[in-house]
Amino acid sequence: MYGLPWSLIGTLVSGAALTGAACGLLGTFVVRLRLSSLGFTMSHAAFAGAALGLALGIEPLTLALVGAILTAAVLGPIAERAKLPADVITGVLFPLTMALGLIFLSLAPGTAMSSSALGLLWGSLFAMTREDLFRLLGLAGAIALTVWLFFKEFQALLFDRKLAEESGVPTRPFYYLILFLTGVTIALALRLVGGLLVFVLLQSPAATAFQFFYDLKKIFFWAALFGVIYAGAGLGLSFAFDLPLGSAIVLISTLGFGLAVWRSPKRRRA
Amino acid sequence: MADSIIELKNVSTVYEGERVPAIRDIDLTLESGEFVAIIGPNGAGKTTLLETINGLLPHTRGQVRVLGQDVARFGPQLRSQIGYVPQEFQFDETTPVLVRDVVLMGRYGRIGLFRRPTAEDYVRVQEALELLGLAELAERPLGKLSGGQQQKVLLARALAKEPKILLLDEPFSHLDFVAREEVAELIARWHRERSLTVLIVLHDLEAIPRSCHRVVLLNGGRILHDGARERVVRAFTLAHKE
Repeated sequence: MYGLPWSLIGTLVSGAALTGAACGLLGTFVVRLRLSSLGFTMSHAAFAGAALGLALGIEPLTLALVGAILTAAVLGPIAERAKLPADVITGVLFPLTMALGLIFLSLAPGTAMSSSALGLLWGSLFAMTREDLFRLLGLAGAIALTVWLFFKEFQALLFDRKLAEESGVPTRPFYYLILFLTGVTIALALRLVGGLLVFVLLQSPAATAFQFFYDLKKIFFWAALFGVIYAGAGLGLSFAFDLPLGSAIVLISTLGFGLAVWRSPKRRRA
Repeated sequence: MADSIIELKNVSTVYEGERVPAIRDIDLTLESGEFVAIIGPNGAGKTTLLETINGLLPHTRGQVRVLGQDVARFGPQLRSQIGYVPQEFQFDETTPVLVRDVVLMGRYGRIGLFRRPTAEDYVRVQEALELLGLAELAERPLGKLSGGQQQKVLLARALAKEPKILLLDEPFSHLDFVAREEVAELIARWHRERSLTVLIVLHDLEAIPRSCHRVVLLNGGRILHDGARERVVRAFTLAHKE
């Protein structure tokens, strides 16, 4: 296939599938808790962190993690208390994180638009290593285990936070656990999808699943599956037409979500 | 002498970002098995009082003890023993939850971390659904139900918890006349048969259940009257005429 060794193809396909599954699972929280603006800002903070890593010659993934988690730690309490509307958070912090990312890229040794720099922006087929793959495998496993262990607490939180508290479920630790996992997922997905577009995988697969089901177990399952399908199909599209991987995933995800809204039984009249 | 099951001493609650307390200097004691109604005009602090008692709103002054424990320290554990039906709720049509799950969720606090619901939990849920006439709607999405049905689901959720205390905030507001009578009778029966302590917020004086003998009148965040039903209702009616 395109003259690539099978081992590389295997790494890419597995990486895309694991990224899609992890993002799909976590996306269920992001969509239902309306954390889109927070996730959007976190993904750009991860991009800025990775760019800083390139400029300083430090592993970009490490600083991407720091950027995403730091953003979650700062913005989490603000979003939680809802004292600032989501669009205000995004409006102020999105340009800041983008500006920082571009400044750091311009400081990176060599040309600013080197292949590593472009990979951070748009995602890259060849940036994924076997180590990344194992990290993604660990992450997807950790998210699945967390959802399984605390399913009823998450279910209560996703239904209605006040009613969850009322029933005796302490929601704050679970809310912050979600933010932490979202930060880690964004940072790990950065290589494949790119800082500008990683957020689509946190949104579209879960948003698609929500169009079809009311049962949360089914929503988690299908969100992960749609994540795998979108990331896998995006990978195929990227190969076939030599498109940046992130852009290809966005095209597929948007198409999938559009079809889901069109065919959604939730929107059909009996 | 009966045990105090709810005890508020000099309690004030201020909402975040506000300077004026929504309730202030509240002294209120409920004995085990009492049925008490809280009445008052809009903005009197009735909902704030209920949510201060179950700790959903942190009080800013004084002491709140429920079932002998400090609400500020043991909020989640206490809330797993308190049934609460909120006044405000809004579930859109796409809310991803089924009626049976909503009622089961009422028991999640009792079940505790790292545990799955047992057969007994499902039995209690089924009982609560049947009591409220919701058994046939158990597998329906919550958002597809009418406001009155949703209010009944929240009541079933509170009862499925097998609470020691029931806090009801305008529990009849979405119900028609017949459903209101049925629910009032159900609450009265639970109060009678299970020695349940009930605190019910109402603004319609006609809706005060017959088995409720004590009424608290709240206005401007303060308790103005606390006593026998007829006396307090008369005081409220007179105040409104003036």
